Amino acid sequence: MAKRLSVRHVTSVGLFLLPLLLVTGQAMAHALLDRAEPRVGNTVATAPQEVTLWFTQKLEAAFSTITVTTAAGQRVDAGKARVSGTQMSVSLRSGGAGTYHVSWRVLSVDAHKTEGSFTFKVGQ
Amino acid sequence: MSMRLLRAGLPRLVILLAVMLVPLGGSGAHEIVGNRLFPATLGIDDPGVNDELSIPTVAVFKTGDDPSFRQRDISGEFSKRITDAFGVSFGVTHSHFSAPGGPAGMGADGFQNLETTFKYRLVKDPVHEFILSVGLSVEWGRTGAQSVGAEQFNVYTPTVYFGKGFGDLPDTLSWIRPVAVTGQVGYAIPGRRSTATFGIDPDSGDPTVDTEFHPRVLQWGGTLQYSMPYLKSAVIDLGLPDFINRFIPIVEATLQTPVANTFTSGTLTTGTINPGFLWIGKGFQIGVEALIPINRQSGTNVGVIGQLHFYLDDLDPRGIGRPIFGNAVARATPIAGN
Repeated sequence: MAKRLSVRHVTSVGLFLLPLLLVTGQAMAHALLDRAEPRVGNTVATAPQEVTLWFTQKLEAAFSTITVTTAAGQRVDAGKARVSGTQMSVSLRSGGAGTYHVSWRVLSVDAHKTEGSFTFKVGQ
Repeated sequence: MSMRLLRAGLPRLVILLAVMLVPLGGSGAHEIVGNRLFPATLGIDDPGVNDELSIPTVAVFKTGDDPSFRQRDISGEFSKRITDAFGVSFGVTHSHFSAPGGPAGMGADGFQNLETTFKYRLVKDPVHEFILSVGLSVEWGRTGAQSVGAEQFNVYTPTVYFGKGFGDLPDTLSWIRPVAVTGQVGYAIPGRRSTATFGIDPDSGDPTVDTEFHPRVLQWGGTLQYSMPYLKSAVIDLGLPDFINRFIPIVEATLQTPVANTFTSGTLTTGTINPGFLWIGKGFQIGVEALIPINRQSGTNVGVIGQLHFYLDDLDPRGIGRPIFGNAVARATPIAGN
């Protein structure tokens, strides 16, 4: 049963795994939030006209949503989100200064469902 | 392959301790729960159930034997979901003992026993980033080499796994939201209570019996993590380079305490504290940790463990990365209305 692993064997394994690493860098994955505008947790001077999210994976428009609410819980998004590739946007109604809470739920094209949330601030 | 056990090849008492000593090669499923990614961890198994491949996991350290010797382990593990919440994993480890390790003190090479783990996810709460799973690991006796300490009997370890992210903390504590803890508690039950070895006293010529009792061992451990991906995507985007935003600094603790049938093993807790980091790529992760023994019986030097881990559910979501039975969709989180 015992079998000695030589440096040559370990090197061979490493050479086998290297292409895998390169391949995985381009592979499909869960759609996770890559960045947002306004940026996650940041403060902007004036209320934005829309919120835009960029994900790590292309999205299915039919099952992807964004909800934006004020600190008082009042919903200020215009409803249906616009999806294009890895990007999803929703228009906002004016909500004034304060903290905005963004909740997102998406279905990626490889059929993984993910969700998340964050806040940004206006004029504070 | 959680809490994989390292075996020394020298004195019997040390072997008894070493059987349940330094856990290695633990590598379980990553899991996404709400905003939180619970990554695969190196020392203990994480609470998730998923399709993934850990290959290789490499560990180098000096054992707690007297005299101590250097041990190098190379292991791999394949995890497969049967249903969305139930999975099975298969693990194998090859050990190399440098001299004076091994039965003859000349070093040894060989495979440890094969190990199979069945795991079922009981609770997944995205809002509170909480997950709870239960599992049963079976180490199959006589499948490894005795020269590296592989036992001749099965060992059964029922285990509870949990994970909790702090994303539900109030705004005033937002900088702590990227923190998560995971843990596991298992109870290793050897399939044989004791082993008797018969011999002849060289002085008197009388027959002798040497009895080795196989202890039941509490295998416990935890992790403390700070997720830079979570910080960026759910708390505050500081504009840091993408390379930095993929790190998860982590400290793991992997501990074993013999608690029953301890006549020859004693009840000393052994294990390691493992500070290090994980780096999350697209479809894979890399992990490197130091292995700091908590006492002399756990090791005589700081070791190191590294792992390359692939998320098969991301790499091939409609093939090998989907459950055998059930929906092809990997339900990272439930989406209302779908």
